[in-house]
Amino acid sequence: MDNLKILKTEKVGINFGGLKAVDSLDFEIGDETVGLIGPNGSGKTTFLNIISGIYKPSTGRVIFSGEELSSFAPDEIRKKGISRTFQTNRLCMNLSVIDNLLLGLYCEQKTNWLQAIFNRSLCMKEIDEGIDKCFQAISGFNPEIVDRAYELISTIPLIDRRRIEIARAIVGRPKLLLLDEPTAGLNKEETHQMIEDITKIRDSGNRISIIIIEHDMSVIAKISDRVACLNAGKKIAEGTFEEVSQSENVRMAYLGG
Amino acid sequence: MATRLNDKITAALIALGICLLVYISLMSPLLVVMIIVALLVVLLTYCEKTGIMDKVLHLLGSNTILTSVIFGLFIFLLPIIVQGNNDLLHIMIIAGILGIVALGLNFQIGGIGQINFAPAVFYGVGAYTTAFLSVKLGLSPWLGTVAGACMAIVAGVIIGLPALKARGYYLSLITIALQTIFTLMIINIPAIGGPNGIPGIPPYQIFGYSLHSSIRVLGMRLPYQVNYLYLVYILLALAIVAASRLFKSRYGIAWNAVDQDPVVAATQGVNLTKIQLLAFCLGAAFAGVAGSLYAHYTGFISNENFDFSQSLILICMVILGGSDNVPGVLTGALLLTMIDQKLMDYSNLRLLMYGIVLIVMLLVRAKGLLPKRVRIYDDRDRSTGAGEAKLAAEAGGKR
Repeated sequence: MDNLKILKTEKVGINFGGLKAVDSLDFEIGDETVGLIGPNGSGKTTFLNIISGIYKPSTGRVIFSGEELSSFAPDEIRKKGISRTFQTNRLCMNLSVIDNLLLGLYCEQKTNWLQAIFNRSLCMKEIDEGIDKCFQAISGFNPEIVDRAYELISTIPLIDRRRIEIARAIVGRPKLLLLDEPTAGLNKEETHQMIEDITKIRDSGNRISIIIIEHDMSVIAKISDRVACLNAGKKIAEGTFEEVSQSENVRMAYLGG
Repeated sequence: MATRLNDKITAALIALGICLLVYISLMSPLLVVMIIVALLVVLLTYCEKTGIMDKVLHLLGSNTILTSVIFGLFIFLLPIIVQGNNDLLHIMIIAGILGIVALGLNFQIGGIGQINFAPAVFYGVGAYTTAFLSVKLGLSPWLGTVAGACMAIVAGVIIGLPALKARGYYLSLITIALQTIFTLMIINIPAIGGPNGIPGIPPYQIFGYSLHSSIRVLGMRLPYQVNYLYLVYILLALAIVAASRLFKSRYGIAWNAVDQDPVVAATQGVNLTKIQLLAFCLGAAFAGVAGSLYAHYTGFISNENFDFSQSLILICMVILGGSDNVPGVLTGALLLTMIDQKLMDYSNLRLLMYGIVLIVMLLVRAKGLLPKRVRIYDDRDRSTGAGEAKLAAEAGGKR
């Protein structure tokens, strides 16, 4: 598996003023699901923001499928196959469910604006196929959402919004999926459903690597093949969930003892 | 089968009703127009509350060919219906021209959510380009129109590239500055007439037939405005088709996403610079064509036609009609042009009354007369399993 590392970061770091939010971090992921844990402010989300191109790293390199990513904008990085969700639900409130999902296919669709105006059949065909893909992706999580496809996001309950956001991220078949606290704000029952949904993506047969940030250790324990723990921008432990949970460093970071 | 026929008849009746409403407000004095608008507002609010609106829009949307034929026939027969009254035809032509500009402006206001306070600049660039080329260099008005659109696009790129680095209020401020500079610039360049404008702009010609010549139909002498009415409304129809197709394409969705959350749009693969520039340039192209039409139709342009108040009127058409909704923008364009033209009789009170009308309408319907609606991919519903099941259930219920 070692030679199949899809994403690798080498000494990646970022400074905000005097603060080193991420500090020379070495990280790699192959065809697996990696849990990223750590106390608040340890740099987990910042790390995802660097990978997805929202922040440019101050030091180090991010290498995806053998290509250095640091110079690319978020839209180009998405086109290369890295897709993400956000900690706070960031769906487009002014769009319907289906339009939000179709947005996830934006970079896969090929019609340019001239074709959109002059070649209606081509454009409609592409949107038709897109809608099929979107319905397929979302009905894997909750088929009832399909019936509400034309409703605005603001009428949809939180768990389904999360599902829509995840479906939007996977509908374009990315190679690497970044999930930022998918269970934040969900109750126990919903968290359980979310674990099932993420397991479905993991086991779907499409080769997809997942990095998941989570505070709920039960989620991490069930989903991830491997866990990395960050504290103050540095990686302090890595290994299986059991190994990491036994680590003295991790206990210190969480309990301050 | 019977229900489909019923649907068609209902759609046709609604379309005819809209034509009748346009005709009545065209013929009536200002007061009656205001009463009609008030009634329209009440009717729209009622229809939305009871859900009739959705049904009506669905009916019109699923019978587009039938309704566009009716609207087309209405415009075609309008000169005869109004018995060649050139004042009324003039109002309709101006409404059509401004409708094209407003549709273009809607890409920016309704699409990417950026208020461009300078639509009249691009409108003016189109008009001045074609006027200059045809008066000073003797170029054909048709080529001038193409050149006008191209110049407007160039202006869109030159201004758009740096300006689109800013968003929200800052972009609006830049466009206000642009509008002010443009007005001052055309007053101060003698080559394009300065404060005197450009008179004597030649009319369009088709195979030697000037569009400024009046025509005779069924023994009735119709004014030259008829030619322009047809020309403007053919172009408006093209603009409507283009705008509604873009709205339903991936570009429409991406524009709305950029409006809501640029970071999310970017992480979905949307190139922010390109997509915003597209909205700017398409808007400029529409405005450029409309400006050229205006120049060749009136034969005279000056800085007053393209000043800040013209920009504000165009913005009002979009916001008051209903941004990001093609029928809404057209309603806004038609209504505001009509009210504006009919207010000409009250010369010194005109702007005051115009302002009052705007304030009242925005108080009553803040989201516009016909607010933005969710995209419905109609052809779809029938082919998905869910849609078929739904239709079958409905049919079963009716039986």
